[in-house]
Amino acid sequence: MKTGNGLALTVRTFTAIVLVFLIAPIVVVFPLSLSSGELLTLPTPGYSLRWYDDFFTSSKWLLATRNSFIVGIATAILATFLGTLGALGIFLGRFRGKTFLVAMLATPMVVPVVVTAIALYFAFSFVGLNNTLTGLVLAHTVLSVPYVLITVLATLQTFDRNLLKAAATLGAPPPAAFRRVLLPLIAPGVATGALFAFATSFDELVVAIFIAGPQQFTLPRQMYAGLREFLSPTIASAAVLLIICSLLLLTANEYFRTRGKTRTLPDDPAEPN
Amino acid sequence: MHDPIVTFERVTKSYDGRTLVVEALDLTLARGEFLTLLGPSGSGKTTTLMMLAGFEDPTSGTITLDGKRLNHVPAHRRGIGMVFQNYALFPHMTVAENLVFPLEMHGVPKAEIEPKVKRALDMVRLPQLRDRKPGQLSGGQQQRVAVARALVYGPKLVLMDEPLGALDKQLREELQLEIKHLHDELGVTIVYVTHDQSEALTMSDRIAVFHQGRVQQLATPADLYERPANAFVASFIGENNRFDGTLVGRDGANCRVRLPDGSEIAATIEADLAPGAAVAVSIRPERVAVGAQAQRDNRFVGDLREVIYLGDHCKLRLAVAGNESFVVKVAAGDAATTLDRGSALAVAWDAAACRALPPLA
Amino acid sequence: MAISRNNLLAAALIAPLFAVVVASFIVPLAVTLWTAIGNPEVRETLPRTTAALRGWNGEGLPSEAAFAAVAAELAQAHEAQAIGQLSRRLNFEEAGLRALLLKTARAKDRLSAPYRDALVALDPRWGETSLWQILARNTAALTPLYLLRSLDLSLTPDGKIVAAPADEAIFLALFARTFVISFWVTILCVLIGYPVAYTLSTLSTRWANIGMALVLVPFWTSILVRTTAWFILLQREGPVNALLLGLGVVDAPITMIFTRFAVYIAMVHVLLPFVVLPLYSVMKGINPAYLRAAASLGAPPWKRFIRVYLPLTMPGVAAGGLMVFMLAVGFYITPVLVGGPEDQMVSYFIAFFTNQTINWGMAAALACLLLAMTAILVVVARLIVPGFRLGGVSA
Repeated sequence: MKTGNGLALTVRTFTAIVLVFLIAPIVVVFPLSLSSGELLTLPTPGYSLRWYDDFFTSSKWLLATRNSFIVGIATAILATFLGTLGALGIFLGRFRGKTFLVAMLATPMVVPVVVTAIALYFAFSFVGLNNTLTGLVLAHTVLSVPYVLITVLATLQTFDRNLLKAAATLGAPPPAAFRRVLLPLIAPGVATGALFAFATSFDELVVAIFIAGPQQFTLPRQMYAGLREFLSPTIASAAVLLIICSLLLLTANEYFRTRGKTRTLPDDPAEPN
Repeated sequence: MHDPIVTFERVTKSYDGRTLVVEALDLTLARGEFLTLLGPSGSGKTTTLMMLAGFEDPTSGTITLDGKRLNHVPAHRRGIGMVFQNYALFPHMTVAENLVFPLEMHGVPKAEIEPKVKRALDMVRLPQLRDRKPGQLSGGQQQRVAVARALVYGPKLVLMDEPLGALDKQLREELQLEIKHLHDELGVTIVYVTHDQSEALTMSDRIAVFHQGRVQQLATPADLYERPANAFVASFIGENNRFDGTLVGRDGANCRVRLPDGSEIAATIEADLAPGAAVAVSIRPERVAVGAQAQRDNRFVGDLREVIYLGDHCKLRLAVAGNESFVVKVAAGDAATTLDRGSALAVAWDAAACRALPPLA
Repeated sequence: MAISRNNLLAAALIAPLFAVVVASFIVPLAVTLWTAIGNPEVRETLPRTTAALRGWNGEGLPSEAAFAAVAAELAQAHEAQAIGQLSRRLNFEEAGLRALLLKTARAKDRLSAPYRDALVALDPRWGETSLWQILARNTAALTPLYLLRSLDLSLTPDGKIVAAPADEAIFLALFARTFVISFWVTILCVLIGYPVAYTLSTLSTRWANIGMALVLVPFWTSILVRTTAWFILLQREGPVNALLLGLGVVDAPITMIFTRFAVYIAMVHVLLPFVVLPLYSVMKGINPAYLRAAASLGAPPWKRFIRVYLPLTMPGVAAGGLMVFMLAVGFYITPVLVGGPEDQMVSYFIAFFTNQTINWGMAAALACLLLAMTAILVVVARLIVPGFRLGGVSA
């Protein structure tokens, strides 16, 4: 759209300012975490790694890191397994009400997390799952499984069903067709779903506030506890470590996303019948 | 028929239990034949193919392959090759890997795989593309690979579901001949589905014309064109002028048809119809002569509406005996093409050139 | 019709997911709803009193049997340490009942038949009809009280719905505040996000990728980390004040942390990508030929924008805006960390009642209302945005 040059410049400048606003708080945490001082101020009095040292020698932070990875990985495995199977079932089945079923399975995405959190807290109090890692994994699985389901379903939507028919006419029994044709083609979508699930669990705080005891504290939960007690720069170093994890996940996600695109779509995709 | 390979007996298919997509289909396919299922979309031809391939179950009736009942045999155990409209090449495998796949699935020994792949690629003249991915090939190349893949493991029967539908006209005509030649060389039986009548005429030994879930006529291309069984076949295959009227007199194969405007046409008839029946008279545009021709059986004067220039010939559109778009084919240099719109023009044809048919739709 | 082999397989594949979602989501939600309306305390702690009150018509005073039962059962509950829950529950009906019940329970040894006289002698409130009306009402399995309180309503002892006392009528204002904050955050996100998405959609691939990275990195960074960043930045001695002082914009540090301003800044920062991303993909999908056609038909730039571009991008605006509003309504962490007491939203009170005052009924009732609000929003979203999908934006 061609607009007046002055207006275009204004809009672009505004965009630049907004982008700085979006990224600046994340960037600022880095120098703060490297401060040699006790206070979170800029400019820093000097640079040191003392707060990272503090992080990696504190039993609380180490326990939280360990818990975060255990819960994150277990959630990713469970959610990816459940979500991928479910998506395949929805894709392969011929029945009415698919939209409704997907909407129902995806509701944890739109229900406010606090509501889910107290619901789980109440329900877990009857079965003794509060203050356990198992409970946390179950809770995080419920929160992240919709992302896996939706990502894999979206990938399956670009999957040409005729490929399965072709495999059958070429003599492949259904398990072979699944393993040799379907699975390799939806693998990028499954990987993206797994990353989403891990990221959801790794960043999750609200449910952890309700159902995790101090022994189950995850990194965000430990950070939150720290914020409410004493604002130490160790929190900034924890934040930096979380940001780095997010960046790695984002990069991996972009990799699978572009790979998924180049591999599933032929250059001239014909309409499937 | 000697040596049938496939038979359909009273095969019916319905998805909802009420509307029949395929109705009481009887069809026998001879070994080595090229049979085309031709019809507009929704006529049941693709459903018929899918039942043969094993992707749909007949609601009733029996399909046999080499004398064995196919009902409930899953697609991967039928040994029927198939070429799909959108190629359905596996995008994550190279061309060679696509061809290896069916050989592995049929348990072909490792040592025999490579020679078979090479032969198949030579057959479709694409040996240089063996390590490409399908996404890097043109539409025509992809379709050749798809054909090679369907043939590589030596199935007795190959099904083709509008395989050339996504290609442009020139490429389509080229590949039609290639597929026909492969059929002649390999002696494989082919069932081919298309809605393109010229494609069907070019390639087939026999054509089954589908309409409303029924086979309207099963015949050789020449028979279909020259001796259509009903008005639908006449209009679906080739160009056709149609007059609806009433049968008023019949003497064996000769008959007279009265049109709504009172005029009469002399025609030939094969159908089992008695005087008083509604019929459709069909005349091919190239069988109509222009100008006063006293010796012809039917003579009319038309009102010239339009002259359409087509290079090697011209088409004239006239109003004749209540038919507002009566088409006549004439040579490009014919004197009639210089007439003005609105001129009166005499047209004539023999009774032998026009057929009175059961109307049907 | 027999179930096809296909659908059996499909059912087997979906079953584990379905089971987990039902067991750890649908059932907990049902438990929450039950907690919001369930009324187990009196029935379970005072079963004989419950039975004795069944025949009472609600006028005057109940029979001696009811007095005897309540005296005995309160004492038993005291010994079994169940009195706390019961007295907290009834105190929620009427302030002061907690003390009365504890006092009666402890007076066990001094009470003897006839219990009516003994109890009234112990505390004259036992002789009031209203007290017995409250007790009788709560022998029912369900209670509307929590939901009524969440709407600033209350019940009189004889069962009329009236406005709650002013010092307890805080919830309508709370919902209103939650709505106002969410509304303004949504408006800000749309107004800021629209030109940003537009600019990104017009840039060359290279610059657009850089711009998108600046949107995606915060999008993938955890909400807590981003809120923490603002928590640090907006401190009195924090970097923003340092910058403002350094630039001479202000003479003394200004208070930003624990204000509504901080809540808006942090929430907009967290939610902005949810508008930019769908808008960007909608804008990328608009064929420039439409605008060229409009120009060739004589429309000046601003009319091309109003009549062609804006309507074409409205689905993106609606999808992004509704997503932001839905997420904002449920915000918890951000207001808690950077807002003041007057900036807390519904979620905060749900947590407050769950973890601090242990009033699960109130927590559950507020959660149910929040859930109902979200459900209404989803329905509205489906009506407004054709094809609105929950997965339209992924976090």
